[in-house]
Amino acid sequence: MSQNQSSNLTDMPTNTTRSSLNLRMTVYVSLFTALIIIGGYISVPLPFGPVPIVLADLFVMVTGLFLGFKWGLTSVALYLSLGALGLPVFASGTSGLAVLFGPTGGYLFGYLLLVASVGFIASKGKQSIIRNLIALIIGNMLLYAIGVPWLKTVMNFGWAGALAAGLTPFLPGTVIKITVAVALSRVLLPRFKQTLLSASVK
Amino acid sequence: MTFFHYIHRDTVLHRMDGRFKLLCMLLLSLSASFASQLQHYLVLLFVVTLALLIAKLPFKALLKDLKFFGILILIVFVVNAFNIPGDPIPNFPITSISLQGVITGLRFAARLTIIIIVCAVLTGTTPLMTLRNVIEWYLRPLPFVPEVRIATMINLTFMLIPLIFDNFAEMMKAQKARCVELRKNPIKRINFIVFPLLNQTLRRVDEIAYAMEARCYSEVRTRAVFKSNKIDWLLLAICLSVFLFVIL
Amino acid sequence: MALLETQDLTHIFPDGTVAIQNINLKFNEGEFVVIAGANGSGKTVFARHLNGLLKPTKGKVLIDGEPITKNIVETRKKVGLVFQDPDSQIVGQTVAEDVAFGPENLNLPVDQVEAVVKESLEAVGLSRLSTRSPHTLSGGEKRRLAIAGILAMRPKIIILDEPFTGLDYPGVVQVLKQIIQLHKTGHTILLITHELEKILAHADRLVILHKGKLVEDGKPEDVIYRSENYGVRMPLRDGEKVAALTWLK
Repeated sequence: MSQNQSSNLTDMPTNTTRSSLNLRMTVYVSLFTALIIIGGYISVPLPFGPVPIVLADLFVMVTGLFLGFKWGLTSVALYLSLGALGLPVFASGTSGLAVLFGPTGGYLFGYLLLVASVGFIASKGKQSIIRNLIALIIGNMLLYAIGVPWLKTVMNFGWAGALAAGLTPFLPGTVIKITVAVALSRVLLPRFKQTLLSASVK
Repeated sequence: MTFFHYIHRDTVLHRMDGRFKLLCMLLLSLSASFASQLQHYLVLLFVVTLALLIAKLPFKALLKDLKFFGILILIVFVVNAFNIPGDPIPNFPITSISLQGVITGLRFAARLTIIIIVCAVLTGTTPLMTLRNVIEWYLRPLPFVPEVRIATMINLTFMLIPLIFDNFAEMMKAQKARCVELRKNPIKRINFIVFPLLNQTLRRVDEIAYAMEARCYSEVRTRAVFKSNKIDWLLLAICLSVFLFVIL
Repeated sequence: MALLETQDLTHIFPDGTVAIQNINLKFNEGEFVVIAGANGSGKTVFARHLNGLLKPTKGKVLIDGEPITKNIVETRKKVGLVFQDPDSQIVGQTVAEDVAFGPENLNLPVDQVEAVVKESLEAVGLSRLSTRSPHTLSGGEKRRLAIAGILAMRPKIIILDEPFTGLDYPGVVQVLKQIIQLHKTGHTILLITHELEKILAHADRLVILHKGKLVEDGKPEDVIYRSENYGVRMPLRDGEKVAALTWLK
């Protein structure tokens, strides 16, 4: 019986139209963009420190892990474009070019680097926790490497001030988010890939 | 929660062709970034305030946005006023503030204010669907840009947000009922939110893809029709002359 | 010749689970068929083969005697599928926009899109809500909007997957009336449900699926007494006739 089934499986038509897969990715990109937007509205207070955790960057990390380089980048670019057009999608419902080029703009552009590097590194070769972890750490380093100097320039801060305002308070949160992202990818990613696969051979 | 603060009125700006409106707003935002002299700022402030009045947007609705920006503008002003070296202001008790600093601060603040008002007018007078169609129209001539796909993504994103939010609110209630607040570990707390959220929405989105396929989703589809008239051209001409005035 | 026909339809998921197995069914023009079965009986998977959303592992689906894959767009226009969860199906920001989604996919000219949207909204009685956000509609209204979205494709066959799930009493009545109206206007109706008591009086035929297999197919009054063998509640009380099985007064 099981042999029968497997031969049936290999006989399955694999002539999926590209458009069907494209539609699926279009829908997934929209989902992750929506999640990043919602992440900006959801904040979880930390037991230590005054800065609550905002989940937008967590979802940017997850987007990279799930959608990979190309579609992940599309998703974050869509997010930034919507904000640039004046839709209230940035943290706490702000929007506009003013925010994008304001003091925190570096972090927003940094999301592009974050998702791109996570997507690029994580989707190279076989999935593994270590690879995902490395991807997330490098991605976040790039995020702050843009965000902090940008903050310093726009606000005319010194280095000490820029680090105190733009890096130190967020570090605990970032560590927590990386941990969560790895945990999520371990449980949900295999099934997600499976769905994509079955959608593309169905 | 309103994600898109479109406010329905019957005004010139609401009736304006979306393509022209977006272009005008971009010209004004750019002008604000290039403005260097006092008269530039005055003209720009005059134009955008006029637009705000013509659009008959309720100030109350804008206030929420402005609260955040008010703080931002204040910070920008103060930081600049203190940090830029220069001559002290005559007859002013705080000597660490320089005249040049105050002027730079004011300039930054004015620039931000103008851009914020421009954005408020654009979003307040243009329904999301129009904006989506306008973007599609502008992207059309660009090579290698799948404009319909991008427009669909914008559409889907805004359709998904309220769905996910409802989902999220339900989940939070269910978790509160089981005393999630007692959990101290932030990793666990976040996981309890994100895991079910992602799990459920991924399934749901799969259904959405099937439903779209069932309705023959195609990227070759009916295009929106735009109509422009003399008023649109006139408004564009005004914005263009403001832009030229600023950069020349 | 049957309007829609399945031959040996079989679907096995990549993990080896058999969803449906060797289903042979014919549906004729103008029929009103209720397809019943317990959860996991393969009803939804079956329905998704009828317009080519899922491709069979074995067997085929014919429409007017031709394989549905011959012209998949034409198939999907003819075979409208109303999904179980209307929130998954509604993609527009306003009611009218959502109904326009299908005809816009077909690349119809703008004036034709408008005409067909108007007509479809009138058919389900939602014209006055055309500028509302779908998110703000009641359960019954949402379901009717989903039906309007399908009507805008001018289908011959309408498949409704569990159309009563999650609806309150007025919602069920609204949707029920709508379905009967659709049948009167000449549509072939395939209705998937496990709640026979709400609808069976209006059906010509009852089909029961069980664990992916076709187990019963016949006149409702003949088949219904055996439904409980397959995990579908037998709603008739002593002496009652099938004609009593409706939520319409």
